[in-house]
Amino acid sequence: MLTQTPSSSAPASVEDKSTRKGRIWRRVVAVLLTLSVLLMVGYSGVSFYIATQLQVGHRTPIYATPASLGLQYKDVTFPSRYDNLQIKGWFIPGILPNGQLTSQRTILIVHGIDNNRADPGAGLLNLSSDLAHQGFAILAFDLRGNGESPTAARSFGLYEQRDVLGAVDFLHSGPLPYPQLGRTHAIAAWGDSLGGATVILAAANEPAIKAIVSDSSFADILPRLERDIPAQGHVPAMFTPGGLIAAQMLYGVDYYNIRPASVIASIAPRPILLIHGANDNKDHTTTPPADMYVLAASALSAPNANVQTWMVPGATHVQAYHVEGQVYVDRIVAFYTAALGPDNSGS
Amino acid sequence: MSTHSIDETTAPAPKQSVEGKGSAIHGVLIGLIPLGLLAGVVLIAVVITALARELAAGGGFYVQQQAALITLIVGLVLAIVVFAIACWRVLRQVALWQKAGVAVQAAATLWTLGFTALVIISPILLAILLPQHPAP
Repeated sequence: MLTQTPSSSAPASVEDKSTRKGRIWRRVVAVLLTLSVLLMVGYSGVSFYIATQLQVGHRTPIYATPASLGLQYKDVTFPSRYDNLQIKGWFIPGILPNGQLTSQRTILIVHGIDNNRADPGAGLLNLSSDLAHQGFAILAFDLRGNGESPTAARSFGLYEQRDVLGAVDFLHSGPLPYPQLGRTHAIAAWGDSLGGATVILAAANEPAIKAIVSDSSFADILPRLERDIPAQGHVPAMFTPGGLIAAQMLYGVDYYNIRPASVIASIAPRPILLIHGANDNKDHTTTPPADMYVLAASALSAPNANVQTWMVPGATHVQAYHVEGQVYVDRIVAFYTAALGPDNSGS
Repeated sequence: MSTHSIDETTAPAPKQSVEGKGSAIHGVLIGLIPLGLLAGVVLIAVVITALARELAAGGGFYVQQQAALITLIVGLVLAIVVFAIACWRVLRQVALWQKAGVAVQAAATLWTLGFTALVIISPILLAILLPQHPAP
């Protein structure tokens, strides 16, 4: 309480007492201000550290090329849309039953976090090979900050979608990797984990992507970050909002706005196949299977939605292809064929 | 809340009538100066950081990161220095008022500075109090 009380003692003594009290209160306020600034400096310091750690991914080297599976391919480089990062990838022509190459229908292959276009863990190179042998050309590329693509802020799909949009632009108007095959007529996308979320975000903004398969995507990155930042960063949960706001200040990444579930309905009427492993997130470090149902519910809110879901029993994170093998390939080939139509370059 | 009763021996009746609502408001306004300066400098630092990030975009991620980080840290250090100087000057003014017996104004300024401390730590309080919904 800041109180000055009347006194019956001599004026000089009252003045001394008043001055002393005033000095005490000034010191109390000065201490409060100093403490608050010190606390905020400490909180900001930890928040900036979290923001910096969030941005930097771990680069995984590419372990093999399509040639290791006997496939023809060309190295390609194309600019991401809007920010012109030079994205590195492979263009693998599709192979028709008669052995003829084709690029009529192209599938964009988008890998998961801290991985690359070959990702042995999810079997991307083998999946690309399987799809190519079914007559689909493949454009597999490294998202920014991964593989051989330039380093960039990791934004859980927000900026990575520009790489997918750049791939669409490349197929529409870039130099032809195989001029004799002509330009692609129909584009679809496949992505797993972060790649699954990224293809949802990109397809919502790009009608040229005629169909998407999203395997093990998250519905909203915020709950993941609210779980993973304290667990992996060994900091109390109170630092999560600070870290996310610091990331926005430093890198312009708005983590509160990376919600594939919010935009997936706008993909309709284009078909969507959502796949998830029923045993995903058993160790509480990946994506809960429930996210697939959240995405499906959001997608189905569009009146003309075309959504299929497939919960793969026994599969952990991004392992549905490994668990189901040829069944997985047959299912997505049927899905893409229905969406893009048959290849008629051989006729 | 603070309560005030000015001693008649140190604060004559005419002066007490002069001190009132106007003095309290003046005291509050003076007390808000450090917070205003802090908010202003932080805002400018954030805007310049965004600008630095855009300008350094051509240099690649690490150049951009360094530019943004250095700009923001320099801006925040500057904000703290400006804030500390402003607080020191306001507290010195409060001491002068207390000596001169302008108690209402001095108390209003001190309460405002106390409120300023609360505002500064409010992001931490919000981070603790606002619910989070972590994934399972």
